[in-house]
Amino acid sequence: MNFDFDLVVRSFPLLLVGAGVTVQITAFSVSLGMLIGMFVGIARLSNTWIIKALAAVYVDFIRGTPLLVQIFLIYFALPILVGQRIDPFIAAITACSINSGAYVAEIFRGGIQSIDKGQMEAGRSLGMTWRQTMYHIILPQAFKRIIPPLGNEFIAMMKDSSLVSVIGFEELTRRGQLIIARTYGSFEIWLSVAFIYLIMTFTISRLVDYLERRYKIDDKH
Amino acid sequence: MISIKNIHKKFGALHVLKGINAHIAEKEVVVIIGPSGSGKSTLLRCINYLEEPTEGEIVVDGIPLTSEANINKVREEVGMVFQRFNLFPHKSVLENVTLAPMTVRKMPKTEAEKVALDLLEKVGLGDKAYAYPEQLSGGQQQRVAIARALAMRPKVMLFDEPTSALDPEMVNEVLDVMKSLAHEGMTMAIVTHEMGFAREVGDRVIFMDEGRLVEEGTPEQIFNSAKEERTKAFLSKIL
Repeated sequence: MNFDFDLVVRSFPLLLVGAGVTVQITAFSVSLGMLIGMFVGIARLSNTWIIKALAAVYVDFIRGTPLLVQIFLIYFALPILVGQRIDPFIAAITACSINSGAYVAEIFRGGIQSIDKGQMEAGRSLGMTWRQTMYHIILPQAFKRIIPPLGNEFIAMMKDSSLVSVIGFEELTRRGQLIIARTYGSFEIWLSVAFIYLIMTFTISRLVDYLERRYKIDDKH
Repeated sequence: MISIKNIHKKFGALHVLKGINAHIAEKEVVVIIGPSGSGKSTLLRCINYLEEPTEGEIVVDGIPLTSEANINKVREEVGMVFQRFNLFPHKSVLENVTLAPMTVRKMPKTEAEKVALDLLEKVGLGDKAYAYPEQLSGGQQQRVAIARALAMRPKVMLFDEPTSALDPEMVNEVLDVMKSLAHEGMTMAIVTHEMGFAREVGDRVIFMDEGRLVEEGTPEQIFNSAKEERTKAFLSKIL
């Protein structure tokens, strides 16, 4: 077998553009997912049964169905309902955010539940409302504890975002497919694509390690 | 100041409080004693609604604990000190004390800090304002917790076994702070196993057993001439 190194070099700039798009989808999705996840995670702990139930249904539905199917639902099924085509970028980010939100919700729920019950009681006994105590006391402590699982979620989302290639959205994986369609260089291109994903996920995991260490050093401050 | 009428509390099938009636007057120091599981902590926690009574009525400083708004209002007036301190570990000692006055009373930061520093001075921790809870001993943490509760200028202070989680040599530093509070005329309800303290500081002692208020009276009456057999049996075991 001949490894066409020249093909790798020629394709690399195009693949990097795709990688940039992958980073974009991931960053958008995880940010939105964190926002959704924080509220849903808190909602899962609500005393109001309807809020709790809705949050549970959302989390169960998302975690119980494949992301690929969720992408199809939003890109192909939803337009039929609303009678309008949805931009692939919007569809991709929507599907990934909603998906990520469910996993992040469980991370937040676990983080909040890991905080000693006495913290909420201390806050409430001082006259602070549930919301004030959540904001000033519980969430800051919970957030520090969930940095590692949130990092994992970030990495998982980055890899899973390759699924949006199926709706023709040109992120890293789709770029690779398109180049292979022209050049038949399956081996070289898939290897390059894998390499780029690896570099990106590795970078994030180092970054998360760094954050975790930094918070350990000035722990609790 | 506090009136408790026919309070019942059930945790599922467990009937923890079986119709408690009690009254705490202004500037009175009431000490609640009794064996573990007698419901004394639960009763204390009902006063600021950390536990919601299953039945009965509690009125604090003229405010009935009936709505969420009333409950928050009462909690602003009722300070609580916990067995396990429950300081906020991610905040400095000073921030622990200023947080509630700033968020609940909307007190400006400079004023809140001034109040906090005065209170920390009073509990003997003026030099620890910028330390974090984990750097303090148990006794120091509990004194910060007292300062934190006092920062809201409460009319009543509740103490839930404030010295039970402390090493013996730290018990007195906390009790001393509580004594000086009592002398200043703070209304206090204290659940404790420190009988010497109860005798010295309490205006009235309440003995509880199995969810009932068995007997109450002055420390003299309870410790020296208890009427009820159960009170005598309990005291003979611990004194």
